[in-house]
Amino acid sequence: MSTTAEAAQKAALEIRYAQVGLLQMKLRTINPGTILDELTGKLATAPQFFKQTAICLDLRELEAEPGVAEMREVVEAVRRGGMRVIGLTEGEFSTALAQSMGLPVIAGFRPQGAPRAAAAAPPAPVEAPAPAPAQAPAPTPQSLPALIHTQPVRSGQRLYARDRDLIITATVGAGAEVMADGCVHIYGSLRGRAMAGVRGDTGARVFVQEFRAELIAVAGVFKIFEQLPKDLAGHPVQALLAGEELRLVRLDV
Amino acid sequence: MTEIIVVTSGKGGVGKTTTSASLSTGLARKGKKVAVIDFDIGLRNLDLIMGCERRVVYDFVNVIQGDCTLKQALIKDKRLETLYILAASQTRDKDALTLEGVRKVLDELIAEGFDYILCDSPAGIEKGAHLAMYYADRAVVVVNPEVSSVRDSDRILGLLASKTEHAEKGDGRVKEHLLLTRYSPRRVAAGEMLSVADVQEILGLDVIGVIPESADVLSASNAGTPVILNEGTDVSNAYSDAVERLLGAELPLRFVDAPKKGFFARVFGG
Repeated sequence: MSTTAEAAQKAALEIRYAQVGLLQMKLRTINPGTILDELTGKLATAPQFFKQTAICLDLRELEAEPGVAEMREVVEAVRRGGMRVIGLTEGEFSTALAQSMGLPVIAGFRPQGAPRAAAAAPPAPVEAPAPAPAQAPAPTPQSLPALIHTQPVRSGQRLYARDRDLIITATVGAGAEVMADGCVHIYGSLRGRAMAGVRGDTGARVFVQEFRAELIAVAGVFKIFEQLPKDLAGHPVQALLAGEELRLVRLDV
Repeated sequence: MTEIIVVTSGKGGVGKTTTSASLSTGLARKGKKVAVIDFDIGLRNLDLIMGCERRVVYDFVNVIQGDCTLKQALIKDKRLETLYILAASQTRDKDALTLEGVRKVLDELIAEGFDYILCDSPAGIEKGAHLAMYYADRAVVVVNPEVSSVRDSDRILGLLASKTEHAEKGDGRVKEHLLLTRYSPRRVAAGEMLSVADVQEILGLDVIGVIPESADVLSASNAGTPVILNEGTDVSNAYSDAVERLLGAELPLRFVDAPKKGFFARVFGG
């Protein structure tokens, strides 16, 4: 087959939707000197992490709309600080500014430090509906896909899903340990230990199809089961935090 | 194509060596060329169970260290033409075995055209057990119907899924089988023992055989005869079934139900 025929079969480009964590920088001043000073101080703590990182500028906390020339100086200051400005966060001032500076407007940020939707009982309204194609999620850890494990977790084995949920479609044996920064789902029996929200997410939960656990923990609050509670043993159960208390609730009643 | 099968358990005293002896004998009886290797360096037993203890001149460690050839160390079974035993060394310690050494011996056996190589693992999860399972294609995990044995087997199954050559190279996994030994249907019925279903459920594996608890095992061991050769006994039949299942046959499980008491036993107490 000739190369031209091959080329004809393969499209020259492919557009796919991909989610990328993106840093954003809230500006409270547009003084390039102050920005550069603070940036160098912050970067010194983790130079490798921030080096050449793409960043999005958030102008929503500025009191007055900055001029295009002023903004160019800001962008230059950030560049000298080691980062690359790739866009402006959607907001009052950004649309016109972005157009004249040749930068895209990026929408859809979840507010910093906001709890995950699952944590609050009523789902929090999405802050920006953001139909914009350039939508990017905030760099919160939960944006990673769940870790799916299909083999039994045997006694003595440990499994940890960092920054994400853990889904296990087999049994977790006595003496085995499964952990996730997000939720833990076990479609099988849990005879060992399961810990959700190990880095402090109090909204994380543990879901178990057949409860025979040794220990369950959510965000560091744990319960040890020396004796299996009769009403829970063998049943589908979820564990969640209600304030400081770890609650176990049957899912089949 | 040679298949390497490890017989392992984690816990000691559950019947690994008895099982290795009977499975290898059963496979050889089916016309397969079989070598069975005792990996329990320092505590060798397989030669006793196979009744060849007086014919051990060279052992596994001698072969690895180049003191003799593999041919000199392989003991030909006196009952079956195609069965060979490689004894463990009684005087060395476990450090005498190495991964490279084991590989070399296995490669030689493969070159000799053996159909099956059974590796009789020592108890525990230390070096000896690791070496016995490392090159395995299949594993027979011997388990007694009690909680500590089941827990140890779970641990061993975890190691089989992570600490074997297949697992480390990522080219498939070791095929695992459960073999229940010392099973007493009467005690299961009385709630004193875990049932086949309990063990299968906890470990998430199917059983390849259920060997009933029987005095025949001890007397066969003492006589130096693999118990599978005690024709007509339940244990022999159960091991024969396990061999058939290893070879791919599908047979219903036998000896898992408590015998129904006859009329006289019920009336007079039995």
